[in-house]
Amino acid sequence: MKLKKKTVMLISFSIGALLFASTALADIVSKSGYEQLKDGLKTTAEKCSEELDSFTIDISMEVKNNGETLMSSNDVSKIDRDNNTQESLSNQKSINGDNYNSYNYSDDKVRIRWNEDQDTYYVTELISESSPTNFVNPFDEQGAEDVERIMDAVVGSLKDHVMVKENPDGSKEISGSLSEMQIPALINAVSSFQLKQEFNGRQSALPHLTQDIFVKEVSGKSLINSDGLMESMLGTAILSGKDKQGQTHELSFEVLMKMSDINNTEVMKPDLTGKKVVNDVERPGYGPEINNPEKFQGLFKNDILIEKDGKYVKIGERFVEITNIDDSSIVGRYYEEYRTDYEQYAAISQEFKFDANFENDKRQANFEYSTEAGNTTNVNIYLDEYLGKVNFHINQDSGNVLYDSMFSRVFD
Amino acid sequence: MAVFQAALINEIEKLYKKKKVMVAIFISLAVIVVGQLIIVGMRTGFGLRGVGSVEFPILVLSVVVNTILPLLTALVAIDCFSSEFSNNMMRVTLTRPVSRFKIFTAKVTTIVIFILFNLFVLFAFSLLAGFLFNANSATVAGFFKIVLSYSVSLIPMIVLALGIVFLANIFKNGTSVFFVSILGFLILKAGAVLFSQYSSLFITSQLDWYNLWLASSFPFSRIGHQLLIMLGYGIMFFTAGYYLFDKKEY
Repeated sequence: MKLKKKTVMLISFSIGALLFASTALADIVSKSGYEQLKDGLKTTAEKCSEELDSFTIDISMEVKNNGETLMSSNDVSKIDRDNNTQESLSNQKSINGDNYNSYNYSDDKVRIRWNEDQDTYYVTELISESSPTNFVNPFDEQGAEDVERIMDAVVGSLKDHVMVKENPDGSKEISGSLSEMQIPALINAVSSFQLKQEFNGRQSALPHLTQDIFVKEVSGKSLINSDGLMESMLGTAILSGKDKQGQTHELSFEVLMKMSDINNTEVMKPDLTGKKVVNDVERPGYGPEINNPEKFQGLFKNDILIEKDGKYVKIGERFVEITNIDDSSIVGRYYEEYRTDYEQYAAISQEFKFDANFENDKRQANFEYSTEAGNTTNVNIYLDEYLGKVNFHINQDSGNVLYDSMFSRVFD
Repeated sequence: MAVFQAALINEIEKLYKKKKVMVAIFISLAVIVVGQLIIVGMRTGFGLRGVGSVEFPILVLSVVVNTILPLLTALVAIDCFSSEFSNNMMRVTLTRPVSRFKIFTAKVTTIVIFILFNLFVLFAFSLLAGFLFNANSATVAGFFKIVLSYSVSLIPMIVLALGIVFLANIFKNGTSVFFVSILGFLILKAGAVLFSQYSSLFITSQLDWYNLWLASSFPFSRIGHQLLIMLGYGIMFFTAGYYLFDKKEY
């Protein structure tokens, strides 16, 4: 009798262990819908950035209020990685009802931009051999793995709601939908609050939601073809809320992404004959380093103002004289000059020489100088190549006098 | 069967006499009141709806299955076993002409009844609060979903209780069982976040499984899997717990 009881216990424990182990194994081996969705995204991103010769991506977005379109946008990008060309056509309908179209084309030698308002093509010839990177794989970026892990944790048990339907031709349909009951209360509250800030009544075309705001439904659907490429992805979110008059608004947000003409997309250079064209040559590409810093040698100045009797009055000038500049260092003098009527301000006037070394970017230099009172002050110099100006920032309180740290070149 | 019934009634009466039930009702009520206050505050303060009358019980459930329900279950499970070991009450219980298996089963059944009762209290109170204070969004389907969620939540709670019973039979001291249970609970919860791909294997992640039953497209395979995993856990814990209980000398 004693032995029999033990046998029964052993058998029963084994059954339990077996049940657990086999299910657990099946669970680990089989990929969940969420994992398959992630794989689809990764494969698509990888193939787009490395493998495919050409493809077309179509992204549309629409926001509706009770079924009426508030705003929408549609972007079609044709990318030919083989020839390094791409063109994109976009159409946007804003909240105010404005319709905006734009067109862009680029290849190795030229960039063409069409402006709708002027119906003009701006053709920019590229002088530097720039390679327009068509598509960067976001999963290769630094920190992508950490983001993925955080996402996994946030998604948590919601990932069980991702469904997979496998079609006989090897393609997969992945879908998921969450109703208000399943959206975790905290996520619902935070996103509702965020959206309430959006629909705060400042823009008259948008409904002003004040109460009973909640996320009603979130759903998504994606089609992955037999090659593992994500051919389409549709995301929908429905938000409900009431305005001050107690009227219910149901706002729906839809995003649809489609990928088509894989390895079959032709990017056409637009035919500009008979069109209004403005030709342009690209400005020399300003790299991370300045090629010829010598161009900054010379005198730079800006004005010192005060506010007097409700008007701005110029009381003097500040000067930065760069006497010597090369790749590694910048040497010069800073001084201030005051007009004769405002000599009393000259008491705070400063004058010093500097000899500073550039930081690694060869645009910036920092140094310290000691005032007569014995205090040390930090100064930051930044050479602004785009504006042709020098930013000379002295870390001090300007008091009543007004000036900025941008210095313009003095030309005789 | 009559013997088992007698043992069961005996256990239930012991539990009832210990006022643990009153504590459970009181805590459940407090959770619902606090939750409702937060929702009302959110609604008047921020204009967010928070929840409708149907969603409130689900919100309460989502909070309690991870907090007070396991806690109260642990308390009762430990009470049924450990405190009897230390009070030497077990000797008295065991001197009755009832087999140890029946006593063990009666104790487990008592815990299950307690969980059921606690779920029912939460269900009734939260439904009432939901209807009194929240925007009316009630539908028959919604009501059915609440009943379903609360009912299916019983299963992972039973498995959890069996796990605690197993622990209670390893350690004699009630306090250490309680701490080990809580520690284990937290470790499993953290593990489910860190190793999210294996989270379905942890007993603590099954606590949320009522969510699956609410999905718009019914996930048969997932529910089946989780049920099998819980069944596996349940059988193992029950057998191991009974084995220890049977071998113990008092």
